[in-house]
Amino acid sequence: MNARADLPPPRPTPDAKPGARPGERVLELMPHRSLTPKTARIFIASVAAPTVVVALMFTAQGFWPVLPFAGLEIGLLTWAVRASMRSGLERETITVTQDSVIIRHWDRRGVQSSVFPRHWSRVTLHAPPAALHPSRLVLESRGRACEVGRFLTEDERRSLAVRLKQLVGNMNETPAL
Amino acid sequence: MAHAHTHDAAHDHHDDHGPAKGIGRWLFATNHKDIGTMYMLFSLLMFFIGGAMALVIRAELFQPGMQLVDPMFFNQMTTMHALIMIFGAVMPAFVGLANWMIPLQVGAPDMALPRMNNFSFWILPFAFTMLLGTLFVPGGGPAGGWTMYPPLSQQLGDGFPMLIFAVHLMGASSIMGAINVIVTIMNMRAPGMSLLKMPIFVWTWLITAYLLIAVMPVLAGAVTMLLTDHYFGTTFFEAAGGGDPVMFQHIFWFFGHPEVYIMILPAFGIVSEIIPTFSRKPLFGYDAMVYATASIAFLSFIVWAHHMFTVGMPLAGQMFFMLATMLIAVPTGVKVFNWTATMFKGSISFEPPMLFAISFLFLFTIGGFSGLMLAIVPADFQYHDTYFVVAHFHYVLVPGAVFSLMAAAYYWLPKWTGHMYNMKLAKAHFWLSTIFVNVLFFPQHFLGLAGMPRRIPDYSTQFADWNMISSIGAFGFGLSQLLFAYIVFACIRGGEKATDKVWDSGRPHGLEWTLSSPPPYHSFETAPEVK
Repeated sequence: MNARADLPPPRPTPDAKPGARPGERVLELMPHRSLTPKTARIFIASVAAPTVVVALMFTAQGFWPVLPFAGLEIGLLTWAVRASMRSGLERETITVTQDSVIIRHWDRRGVQSSVFPRHWSRVTLHAPPAALHPSRLVLESRGRACEVGRFLTEDERRSLAVRLKQLVGNMNETPAL
Repeated sequence: MAHAHTHDAAHDHHDDHGPAKGIGRWLFATNHKDIGTMYMLFSLLMFFIGGAMALVIRAELFQPGMQLVDPMFFNQMTTMHALIMIFGAVMPAFVGLANWMIPLQVGAPDMALPRMNNFSFWILPFAFTMLLGTLFVPGGGPAGGWTMYPPLSQQLGDGFPMLIFAVHLMGASSIMGAINVIVTIMNMRAPGMSLLKMPIFVWTWLITAYLLIAVMPVLAGAVTMLLTDHYFGTTFFEAAGGGDPVMFQHIFWFFGHPEVYIMILPAFGIVSEIIPTFSRKPLFGYDAMVYATASIAFLSFIVWAHHMFTVGMPLAGQMFFMLATMLIAVPTGVKVFNWTATMFKGSISFEPPMLFAISFLFLFTIGGFSGLMLAIVPADFQYHDTYFVVAHFHYVLVPGAVFSLMAAAYYWLPKWTGHMYNMKLAKAHFWLSTIFVNVLFFPQHFLGLAGMPRRIPDYSTQFADWNMISSIGAFGFGLSQLLFAYIVFACIRGGEKATDKVWDSGRPHGLEWTLSSPPPYHSFETAPEVK
């Protein structure tokens, strides 16, 4: 079974969509990546080509120690692109039902799920602890907390916070879905 | 196989997010702003260490005769000054700027590989500790010039393997930095930001990263061959074993000339950001600027032998490298023309970033022109290894690369810290720097044309006057930089609050100016909208 088979299908923007079941709202979150698998391969080739040509040129002159360094470097570049693409597969869904809020987080380690009672939950956007540090969007209930949207940019996180507050309400509130 | 589990623990995943406290915040930093800050502070430290070495050189050259240091130590200072300024000051400063600005300018939450980013920074203190450590081992530090030409470099004592390892570490750091930059730019741009909508600074860094990735293995291979020649009996560069020391020069400069552009292309990007802001006009010829940058990068691969015309090469080779070198003047001229055209009929104001950018424009052009003189083969036979060469590359690298870095610091510092700096002091710093940099380096043209060789601790009395003036300029320039450090640290500590736009201008218009000052980590106050 493919390790990524559990991922929800990609969607262009994190936005609420009508749930599969009546009275449910599902928010899907995902990081943005500019490259597709095909353009990523073209990109790696475009960087590797001049490096390999240069290394081969020196190898042909007898200065072969350039070649392994070029190989290492292209290997590192390939790993870096793959790591960046793989991190782009991270997904989060926040399912808001009448009774609960279910947070599912997919990454390369698998799926993690957390379930919170909707009526006794609140959404908090914590201010950055230091001038250059991140805000944190957290769902809290009865001493438990779960951060969502870590991979989003601040504007996306703020708009998500607004939407989540509408859907989840404050502590001891249950807005109509 | 994917696995799923449901848990209901007291603390759910990701609720421990946030920076470590104290020193841990910096040791384990993964956010681009902290790492960018570390890079730039490190480069400032190296700038002062390398600068102190330059002052030792200029103090010794203040008068003819041996005054202060012995010739061996003098040679160590010239070599270490170059290595520290190139690999410790200028390159890390540009990587720091890339770390700070590229994610903001392309609308990414962070660099593509934050942990590798941390690693690539923290290699540097070890590399430079090792490099500086060579000064304290038997045989002393490297003294054969930063180019490490064999067989001279092979005569270094216990410091030799330390030098080679330090160069490897610097190279590894540069490569990781370049890969991070290139992957961030290519894979993490905000939706709608096509390549030709990217800010020019991002473009210049993209091309610089290509150059770095292409040439760094060549440097790594070259210094490894020096090492194996020294310790493992190979003879890549030893004539006695059938090797060729001149080939080291070819290999080194195949790396070295693109390296020059690695240090200047991001400077072009910075100036291309600043001039439109303070001219209150869009950049003239954005596309032409991008293509000119790419052309310069391409040409940098086919001009390396102009550094070594005097080793003897076929006439056809001399002609090729001379003409190819002169060809670089065309895209560079496009850039200078476009910056000038951007200012033409603009509503120009002269805040410190613009002052440094204008100074860059004039003084870098002087460096470019002396480069053209050096490109002419018969003239180069006279100028080679004289102070004319020293004057040329210092005009390119000091009022070129270093001034652009100062311009960038003055341009973005309010955005980074949230405070305005002391404008009067910054303008004083500009005037002192600009006057003294010319007092320092312009006389070196005359010295070189009169025949004074570079890398010597003593000289004929006919060179005394210009050397004295140059040394006065050196101390004036060096001491002026203490003012720069004071302005920067005072701005970090406090000052008048900066607005989000910072500059009172219809421009700047990049994504970074849509953020608060300072921008919160991973943050955009308003949605990044690419027009």
